[in-house]
Amino acid sequence: MALAGVIVTFLGFLLAASSVGLSSSTGVRLVIVLVGIVISLAGIMGLINPAYQKNAVWNK
Amino acid sequence: MKRVLITCTIAWCLTAFGAAIAGAQTPAAAAAAGISGGDVIKGVDAPKPEDRAKGDPAGTVTGTVADIPVGDAKKGLTVADVVNAVGQNIIAVNFTWTLVAGFLVMFMQAGFAIVETGLARAKNANHTMMMNFMVYGVGMLAYWLIGFAIQEGGVGAVSNLGGTAPLNSEFAIHIFGKDWGLFGQKGAFLAGSTYDVGVMVMFLFQMVFMDTALTIVTGTAAERWKYSAFIISSFVMGAFTYPIYANWAWGGGWLATLGSSYGLGHGYADFAGSGVVHAVGGMTALVMAILIGPRIGKYDRDGKPNAIPGHDITLVLLGCFILAFGWFGFNPGSTLGAATNGNLRISSVAVNTMLAGMTGSFGAMYYMWLRYGKPDASMTGNGLLAGLVAITAPSGFVNPTGAVIIGLIAGVLVCLSCEFIERVLKLDDVVGAISVHGANGLWGVIAVGLFADGKSNYAGAWNGVNGSVTGLFYGDAGQLVAQLIGVATLVGFVFTFSFVVNVIIEAVWGHRVTAKVELEGLDIPEMGALGYPEFVLKGETLAVPAR
Repeated sequence: MALAGVIVTFLGFLLAASSVGLSSSTGVRLVIVLVGIVISLAGIMGLINPAYQKNAVWNK
Repeated sequence: MKRVLITCTIAWCLTAFGAAIAGAQTPAAAAAAGISGGDVIKGVDAPKPEDRAKGDPAGTVTGTVADIPVGDAKKGLTVADVVNAVGQNIIAVNFTWTLVAGFLVMFMQAGFAIVETGLARAKNANHTMMMNFMVYGVGMLAYWLIGFAIQEGGVGAVSNLGGTAPLNSEFAIHIFGKDWGLFGQKGAFLAGSTYDVGVMVMFLFQMVFMDTALTIVTGTAAERWKYSAFIISSFVMGAFTYPIYANWAWGGGWLATLGSSYGLGHGYADFAGSGVVHAVGGMTALVMAILIGPRIGKYDRDGKPNAIPGHDITLVLLGCFILAFGWFGFNPGSTLGAATNGNLRISSVAVNTMLAGMTGSFGAMYYMWLRYGKPDASMTGNGLLAGLVAITAPSGFVNPTGAVIIGLIAGVLVCLSCEFIERVLKLDDVVGAISVHGANGLWGVIAVGLFADGKSNYAGAWNGVNGSVTGLFYGDAGQLVAQLIGVATLVGFVFTFSFVVNVIIEAVWGHRVTAKVELEGLDIPEMGALGYPEFVLKGETLAVPAR
């Protein structure tokens, strides 16, 4: 799950960075970038962190 | 009468200087004016030696024509001599300003050291202090070897410093019809053509910034991080993680050119490093908090958090003050000069910095007071730092009202973020670095895209785009998009890069000390000596229920 989280997090960045090539509209770029940020945050908080929480000291 | 003559002569010299500059652009005009660099200036008398020997309490005969170096003594003072002296004085002012600002930023290491040590338990004081002490050397070594070259190797000539032209090689790839700069290629070891006075100023100033980012991480991972793993991780961060993002933002990389290449405002604008320094440190701190796990006793078996108070709140607040002092080097120094090119805005940058710090501390103090009934000291200190972190990127582009609002939001945000990280994500951040530097670093980057008022003017352009950086509230939505792409890069790329690096270190070396060492305290097992050998320390983890 952690590996999937890393991939998702990185894909969020790629989506946001590629917004400049996908559209010339500022509004569309804004939406694409925000979606990219949300995807990256989901990768960190929804996948990577829970994967490590399973093995946390207090959770054993 | 003599004073009038001197005044007239100086006025003539200045006129000649202006004409000489114009002449450099239009030789015909210079010829018409009849002035050339080789023309000898006459009629400007130096103070007599006997007058100087009397002393100069009023300061009227110190700093005169006698102090302008003459190229050819036989010929005497020429227009070229005056012009060269003026040019060198401008660069000297900028060198001095930038170096002194760098010295202030270096002193921030002391502030970080005592903030983090004060927020750690006494049994880990030596270990926490040593991490903060040696991160300076470890980071500097990595940066000298390769980090500086990656970050600044392609930045080109910086006009304020007069001579960074040797840094002229940026590796770029071609995407979407434009070049995307990825990393610099000159400046490793400061050797070859980068053995240059301007490059040296740039190295010192950028080095202390890099070290600030590195020392953020030690606060989050304190009290359980193997000292040897800390050294490896910090070295990699100073050599690669920080310099790569810094290149993209400040070294002529692709984030900086989003404006000139794709019309997004003035490209990613981060005046002094809310993103480059603080969010990079904060994202790496987040990585470490996830990887290394919470301290023993931080969470009950049901996941309920316990407060683990630091051992010296006086150190914490003193450290916050030292950091606030150092921030006057961090932000105003980021003009890289005090003379010409709109650099007189340093006064505005400094005032914005102090205002945001003030409202940050107010925001945090009142939030804690209203929510928990007491004005929590450590969170008030963190509020001050949060305000300073948040204003770091916008400090050069916003007005005082904007700075006050940015700082106030930062003060509340740091409290909300600390609660979220501790209670929802269940991450143990000893000093709150993820919230102070990560969350508020990102907020600072976004704030540029909202509050930049379009009044700044640094030589008429920023990131190669004419005009002033202007945020959404003042009419430029494109700037906000550029800033958000920076945020996405910090969250999506910097986090991922740092995560992969530290996962490898975890697999090969291991980040965390054993439970036995952690319970005993890291001072003896890791460092060989207690921070406070004459104190009687509690033998078990001090844990009290969270509010």
